[in-house]
Amino acid sequence: MSYGDVLVKTLYPLLAPPLAAALRAAPAALLAQAGEIRIRTGQPLLVVAGDGDVFLDAAGRPSDQAKAYVASGEDVAKTLQIVSRNSLYACEEELRQGFLTVAGGHRIGIAGQAVTVGGALKTLKNVSALNIRLAREIPGAADTVMPYAVAGPRGVLSSLVISPPRCGKTTVLRDMARQLSGGIARLGFTGVQVGIVDERSELAACRDGVPTADLGPRADVLDGCPKAVGMLMLIRSMAPQVIITDELGREADAAAVREARHAGVAVVASAHGRDVADIAARPFIGALITDRIFERYIILGDKPAVGTVREIAAAGGEIVYRRPGGIKACG
Amino acid sequence: MKLLGSAMVVAAGTGLGFSLAQRYSERPRQLGQLIGCLTALGSYVNYAALPLAEALARAAGGLDSPVGDFLRRTAGNLADRGWLSPREALEEAMDANGRTLAWERPERETLLLLGANLGATGREEQQKYLALVLEELRRIEREALMLRDQNVKLYRYLGVCGGLAAAILLV
Repeated sequence: MSYGDVLVKTLYPLLAPPLAAALRAAPAALLAQAGEIRIRTGQPLLVVAGDGDVFLDAAGRPSDQAKAYVASGEDVAKTLQIVSRNSLYACEEELRQGFLTVAGGHRIGIAGQAVTVGGALKTLKNVSALNIRLAREIPGAADTVMPYAVAGPRGVLSSLVISPPRCGKTTVLRDMARQLSGGIARLGFTGVQVGIVDERSELAACRDGVPTADLGPRADVLDGCPKAVGMLMLIRSMAPQVIITDELGREADAAAVREARHAGVAVVASAHGRDVADIAARPFIGALITDRIFERYIILGDKPAVGTVREIAAAGGEIVYRRPGGIKACG
Repeated sequence: MKLLGSAMVVAAGTGLGFSLAQRYSERPRQLGQLIGCLTALGSYVNYAALPLAEALARAAGGLDSPVGDFLRRTAGNLADRGWLSPREALEEAMDANGRTLAWERPERETLLLLGANLGATGREEQQKYLALVLEELRRIEREALMLRDQNVKLYRYLGVCGGLAAAILLV
């Protein structure tokens, strides 16, 4: 199934009809590279792909800005209505966070007018811009990583996936979850019980609590649950051998990672950053590096393609894998 | 022969009277059911935060009546065609099930107004709005009950008597 077909099934039914029509007719090669679709009231429909931005006209043809299809307020409102399934009350938390995750794992970022109560953000109204970040399930995205992340038939090394935004952290993490849960025959790894805390519903792309991404046969998902609470809950309730979670950052996250490691559970997580030194300088999670809580650091880049493993380092900093052809920076 | 004809005229008059009376007694019954279902809808929206289509279907529960059918059809419209707004889904269901619903203009308008706001705000606001709509529906129900008390007997008697009168005149 081509990526265009995936979008036909997962994304287009959620868009206002004129937007869906334009994207349906868009060239397959463009969609295969697309990372984001931007819809802004009164502005042209924009696909952010590989190296540049492409405007689409109403018939889905790449065109210059003057001839592109201009999204109306109605397009944005209708899309939000469909995405929320006519139930904004059920998405209050997501609106506060500024994005909704839909089937297929695509993340729809929202910008509009903030409503605050007592200084705290209550919700967003008059939504004027949507950014659809396209999710890709790429089986095999973690193939390079797995030999360094497992040890023996049931051993998992705690790993931290590090990369700047849009370099494929979540894609790699998702495929690691699938391989850890399903086993890896070529490495003699038989598979372990995997617990996933999916605070932003991106990893497992749950729909009504059930994962829509392929996570193998041994994965349990706590969907929409704060990481720190969720990790401790999983340890108590589901007895996982490895816990997987996205984007560590807060103090409570770091404490929960320590707790899990003390309980003998491996942790595979990700963090925004350029390299290990960058993360080590950060508050809270920096201490996890100096205390050698993780056994592997996996650094990603986006050249030549998103999700490229630049290097893998051990706890002490020694490089155990480096991509041939030198290191390239993400942009 | 005359006797048979007269009996038929009386029966027709009685039937007409009873069917008009039935409409007056059916309306408050259906309004009562609607109020019950919308109260349940409030719980599904406020506490369980279920998506609207599912909340509507559950609120209708196993209610085997025109009101249950109407709510299930609305839920089905929303689930099958996500691009419909709640108001459009309600309107379509009302058109499709109109013949079985004994509702009059005030409750239809209240429902459509509800449709225009359903799902479009946060939980707290939905709850407040539903409470307001329920209050309005209860007021309409009280009026409907009064009309029922006044009119049910009236139309039944009128039907029988009208039938008799027509039979006498014809004979």
